[in-house]
Formats: sequence, structure tokens, C-alpha cells
Amino acid sequence: MVGLSVGEKHFIQGGIAQDLRSDGRKRLTYRPISVETGVLAQANGSARVKLGGTDVIASVKAELGRPNHLYPDKGKVSIYVDCSPTAAPMFEGRGGEELSAELSAALQRCLLGGRSGAGAGINLSALIVVEGKMCWDLYIDGLVVSSDGNLLDALGAAIKAALSNTGIPKVNVAVGASADEEPEVDISDEEFLQFDTSGVPVIVTLTKVGRHYIADATLEEESQMSSALSVSVDRHGHICGMMKRGGAGLDPSVILDMISVSKHVSDQLIAKLDSEISAAEVDEAES
Amino acid sequence: MAGKSSSIAPTTYSPSPTLKVKKKQQQQQQPIFKDVDWVRPDGRSFQHCRPAFLRTGAVNSASGSAYAEFGNTKVIVSVFGPRESKKAMMFSDIGRLNCNVSYTTFASSIRGQGSEHKEFSSMLHKALEGAVMLESFPKTTVDVFALVLESGGSDLPVVISCASLALADAGIMMFDLVTSVSVSCLGTNLVIDPITEEESYQDGSLMITSMPSRNEVTQLTLSGDWSTPKIHEAMQLCLDACLKLGEIMRSCLREATSAPHE
Amino acid sequence: MGVTDVSGDMAGEMEVDAFRRLFPLRFYERHLSESIRPDARPLGKSRDTTVALGAVASADGSALAKIGHTTMLAAIKMEVMTPTSDSPDEGCIAIDFHMPAICSPLVRPGRPAEEAPVISKQLTDVILSFDGCWLFSSGMVNMKELCLIPGKAAWMAYLDIYCLDADGALFDAALLSAVAAFSHLHIPAVSLNDEGRVVSVSEEQVEGNSIKEPLNKGKRKLTLSSTPFALTCILHKKYILADPTAEEESIMETLVTVVLDVTGRLVSFYKPGGAFLAYTSAVQDCIALTRQRVKELQKILIDAIADMELD
Repeated sequence: MVGLSVGEKHFIQGGIAQDLRSDGRKRLTYRPISVETGVLAQANGSARVKLGGTDVIASVKAELGRPNHLYPDKGKVSIYVDCSPTAAPMFEGRGGEELSAELSAALQRCLLGGRSGAGAGINLSALIVVEGKMCWDLYIDGLVVSSDGNLLDALGAAIKAALSNTGIPKVNVAVGASADEEPEVDISDEEFLQFDTSGVPVIVTLTKVGRHYIADATLEEESQMSSALSVSVDRHGHICGMMKRGGAGLDPSVILDMISVSKHVSDQLIAKLDSEISAAEVDEAES
Repeated sequence: MAGKSSSIAPTTYSPSPTLKVKKKQQQQQQPIFKDVDWVRPDGRSFQHCRPAFLRTGAVNSASGSAYAEFGNTKVIVSVFGPRESKKAMMFSDIGRLNCNVSYTTFASSIRGQGSEHKEFSSMLHKALEGAVMLESFPKTTVDVFALVLESGGSDLPVVISCASLALADAGIMMFDLVTSVSVSCLGTNLVIDPITEEESYQDGSLMITSMPSRNEVTQLTLSGDWSTPKIHEAMQLCLDACLKLGEIMRSCLREATSAPHE
Repeated sequence: MGVTDVSGDMAGEMEVDAFRRLFPLRFYERHLSESIRPDARPLGKSRDTTVALGAVASADGSALAKIGHTTMLAAIKMEVMTPTSDSPDEGCIAIDFHMPAICSPLVRPGRPAEEAPVISKQLTDVILSFDGCWLFSSGMVNMKELCLIPGKAAWMAYLDIYCLDADGALFDAALLSAVAAFSHLHIPAVSLNDEGRVVSVSEEQVEGNSIKEPLNKGKRKLTLSSTPFALTCILHKKYILADPTAEEESIMETLVTVVLDVTGRLVSFYKPGGAFLAYTSAVQDCIALTRQRVKELQKILIDAIADMELD
């Protein structure tokens, strides 16, 4: 918990009301984003995203598995987030567990779409190797290294960057295996398939402080929130997921307004993130 | 002989329907759901909720409790307290709300599948905390424990509505009753109050938790691919159903108080 | 006896509820001397008992039993297993008793109640040891009936009992719900598919003869030849209180649980210590009370089965 004096609280709230926040930003401006890809050698893809004082790492691991019998033509993706005790004293011991579970569930909802896989940011059909028999299972892990608010947006961006950094080994299926047997496969360690991440949405969290909402709140600003709405938006402006956080209730019309604002903000965020990711890839290739 | 079954844990499986049948069902089912006019497995129309059965005072040893039955979804919620907070808790001049949701081992068709719903406890907490007047029980904790006896779809909305009824039964002060309804998107159709089968084929879902008389949304989750007009439509559908559910819950509470005590 | 004296002096000036909370034992003893209990029952009478079968649609057999406020929900799920090599022609029953946090203010999530494993073990002992001696006595379940293909496949019955409301005499109610769930159990029809795996078949398929003969035709119900019923009593001084509530159990701590089968034979007798030592005559009184109770319970169960068949 952030301990703030009455004066500090007024300063934060007053600044937000006047569209000039404590760190000089406007209400809907993000902090500077920096992206670094390929930070973990043993993962298939990884990225580190810093958003002001918030620092997160995402990694993607791919393993061969069996598809769900309900959806034989789709691969499986699971997302898990861990809050490192170094990020905040309250994450020590079991303290971070609840937040971890909440962030994991929120990311799954935002990135994986409906139960049938419709609206998923990750093309699950591309993960299939042999229909009904074998598919790639993607294990996406997020790690919160340091927390200064707006973890969900940062994790969403890190996962997007990590996915675009991911190369999945090409699999050659031995021909002639009968339908009943386990297919024999040969995993190439030279050829990799790049992942199409253009469909992966970004997450925009609008935090309501007083009568206004702000994007990319810091930890201090989050302590003053009455409620927050996280919306995941893809390139085409489609909503892929949404959830509300914070205690106070919201009027339905306010929610609709927040959705349209977050769509507007997401355009800028996607453009910024894309350029940062491609810059990071160039950096990685050069080094 | 006595300890035999518990000491040895042989691998078991529940006999599933024949594979042949399954494939046929699947090929039939999925296109049916995508059609414009398919019939829901339980014969309801798209905008029709399951009949709700609600009773307060299900558990005698709790401060307040409620039982909810929506079709095959059966839930019991007990509320304990306000009572002393755990020793480790720091002093707080407002009360604490502690929520837990668990499933029976036989809740779903495959034994022991209920443990998948870890996040339900924190989602129940978020849905309720905006409605409960925490300052009315300083320094103490109110425990809200839910047990899903049988899972038949839309479990979380039923748990949330039932929990607010149990809180009212316990006499915990709230701004308003909390009601919750979910909508599934199947193809182009919006289906309210989906059952398990519909949920497993859904393309997207929206759950709204609201305080109907204040017209406020306390919790909202959405997954899948949605356009803004569709969200608007689904929200209206949910809010309308929330309002009606609120009326049913109110009349349940009225009945409970007007009924002669034993 | 200082406490008793003080309470005696103050009794005249105090309200009943306050007296009940401050001097619970004295409160009870005053009632007992008049041969009545605070809930208006005579000492040897059990609370109202109801049984409803088929409460859980997702289970193969289920029952809800209520004794007073104590409520138990039992459900059986059947799964297929490979039998052990010691007994290739027998199935198995796994019994688990749960006390979820909803049932009592004393239970918190994540910390299992102390009583739960004890009752679990008692139930397992009563239900399973009972059929262990199937050969020379009439047990409740014949494990051989749970066999599908000797050495290849047998049924594993998972019996889970949930306590929904804990108000004393938990074991009695749990055993009643377990017995009722077994009498409601309807084993699913199964047949063997081409890969040698056991698969379920629906009723229509059986009637339409689209699939070969189900494996367990005519073996869909278990024969329950003899069923156990239990009664818990409190021993306090010269009094015997049948079917105690949670409040009574917490005040007077000497409990005796007797389990008899329908023919009146003793299945199990359980007295876990306690402050009062029982004379043989008291034990005999407990058994006599149980004998009466078994008749009541048997009738309640038979009525419940008849009710279900009517529907």
C-alpha cells in the first residue's frame, strides 16, 4: 500500500482534474515504453518491457501436446503470471498469489478469446501439427520484476513482444503412419516458423480518479482510484476482452464511454509498440 | 480390507460415450449452434433465463445463508460474522470481506474438475466489495463461503447473486442487492444465462454484476471478439435481466421475513 | 462446585439467554432433571429426520439426509478401473467425508476440520469392513457385484459426502446419507468398444440394439442385503441423551456411537474417551435406543425409496 498524506492525495487528484499529472503527463498519455526482445536464451521467445517504473518479462515456451478433443483443429495456450517478491514487499510469501491469479485470469480472457477460440489474438489453428493428434502447446509466463502501476498493460505488451520474438521449430510429419498410431515427427532445429502477431491485441487500462479517467496510472495514482476498466483492443478496433477492477460501481453509460476512449488510446499504443518491437528486433539482430 | 480402497489409488476413468457417437454429435452440434435459428438444448428462447429458485436460511449454523438453483446449477452460500479478524491482520477502521468459492467433487460430469476455478474467489470479492458497507463493521471480518453443489453453467453469476442474498439474510448492510447475469455469444446469436454445454461452444461471453436500483455495474468481464454495438446490445440484455432477478431476490427476502418463524 | 453455587445464586436475577451462555452446563442440568431438553425433546428422542434421493443430477447415485438441522449430501460417481491382482473379481469403494467452510463457523477454507478425517475413517470402517465378511455374513455391498470383466475391468465407486450444515450427530447423518445414496445408485450401462475400452451406452442405443449387448445388463442395481444405521448418544451423569445437537456435544463431551444393522446385530461401537465412564447398563441402554432408532430410520429410507419410485 502506498502511504500518502492528505496533501499528496489532493495534489494527485487536483492534477488529474486539470489534465496535468504529477509527472507532467496528460490524462491519456502513456509513460515511455522500452522493449527488449530475446532476453532469455532457453525460451522460444521472450521480451522485457519497461513502462516507467514498471518492469515485466514475458517468455514463451512451445511443447508438443495433444489437442483438446472438443477442438481437434486447435492448439492450446496457457498463460501464467508470477509476481516476484523483489517487485514489492507485499508479494513476499503467499502475498502475491492472489494478484498473480487475477492477472493470469485477466490475460487469458484478453488474449485467448472465447471458449471456442473465436476472437483469440493468437491464431490457435496455426499451432496444429496433425489434426486431432498433435499440436503445439504454448506456455506463456509473465514475471513482474518491479511494480509501479499498470501491470496488466505492461504484461500484455510484453507478451505481444515475446510472441513476435517466438520461433516455433518446423515439424516434419513422417508420411505413411496409419490413422490410429501416434504420428512420428521430426523436429527441425534449423527452420523456425515466425509467429503472426498482427492479431494480438493490446490492453488499455483506464483508471477512474474522481470524475476523470487516466491511462497508464502509476502506483500512487492507482491508490486513489475508485474503479478501473481494462479493455483489450486489436488492430481493427475489435474488443477482445474486458474486465472491471476496483470496488465502486460504474454507470453503464460511463462504461460505454470508457470503451470508446480506450479504443482511441489503443491506436496510439499499438503504433508505438509496433515501432518499439521492430526496433528491438533490429537491436537483437545486430548484437 | 478396510483401508484397502483408500491406500491404493488405482487409475480410473469415467466411461465416456462411444467415440463414433461423439464424432457424429460434434459434427451435428457445432453447425447447429452457428445456425440462425437453432433450438437451445433445454428448449428456452435466446432471451429467456432459467427459472430461478431462491431460499434464504439454508444453513442454520451460519449468520446468514442462501440456496440458489438455476436449472442444474445449485449453489449454497453461507455468511459468517462480522467476527474477529485473523490475528495476523493489521488494524483497520473499515471491515474486511473474505470470500471463498469451492466445488464439490461431483459438481461437474468428470470427477474432481471443479478446482479449475481458482479466480472465482477473488472475482466474487470484487463483485461484492462495492456493495457492502464495510465501514459498518470496523475491525472485523465478514466471511462469505460458497459451495457449488452442482455445476450446470453460469456458475459464477449464480454464486454472486446467491452471495448477496446470503449477506442480506445475515443482516450485513449493503447499498443494494447485487445481481449477476451472463450472456454467451454463439455465432451471431446472444444467448442469456447459458448452460455448460452452450458455454463450452461459446465464441464470447459477457458477465455483468450490477446493483439494479442504483443502476451501477460493480463487476464486468468480457471475452472473445466483440464489436461495440454488440457489446451495447449484450449489456442491455444483461442489465435488464439483472433488474428482473433483483425483483425475484427481493420478493424472496420479503417472503422470508413475512413467513411465521418456527 | 463453586461455579455451580454462584450460578445457582444468580439464576433468579438473570435472563434465560444470558444464563444459557454463561452457565451452559448448569442450564442443561436443570432441564435434564425435568427429563426434557431445551429444544423440547425427551432425552431419548431423536430429531426429525428426512431423506431425499437423487438430489444430484451429475452423480450416479445421491441422497440428501437431514437430522434436525444437520444436513448431509452424499453422491456416488462410478468410474472404471483395473482391479488389483489380489482380488481380480472385485470392485472398490473410496469414501471421503468433507466439511466445507459453509457448514459451520468453526471451519475455515484451506484448514480442514479436525472431525472430517475421523468421520471419514469411521465411515470407511463401517461400510467396508461390513462387506469384507460377505462370505459368512450378509454385508451391505458385495464387492463382486462391482466387477465387470474379471482381471480386466471393475467399478470404482467414489462416495463423497458433504456436510452442508453441522449441528451435531454428524456421523449418524453421514452414514444415513451414504446408505441412502447406495440404495439410489443406478450403475451406468456400459459396453466394450473395439479398442477394448469400456464405454457408456445410452438407453436408446440399448433398446435400438445398435450396439452389442451391454456388459452389465441386469446388474444396474446393487443388492443391499443388510444396511447399517447409527445413533450417537451423550452420557452425562445418569442421563443418556440421544441424537445430540452441536451445542449439546460441545457442553457434555462423553459420546457413544452405536451402529447396528437392520437385524439388530452390532456392527460398530465407538466411545472415544470422555469424562464419564459408562457402566454396562448404560451401554445396554444406548444399544436399546439404537435398536428403536434403526427401525425408524429403516422406515424413513423405505418411504424415501417408495417416494422416488412414484415420481
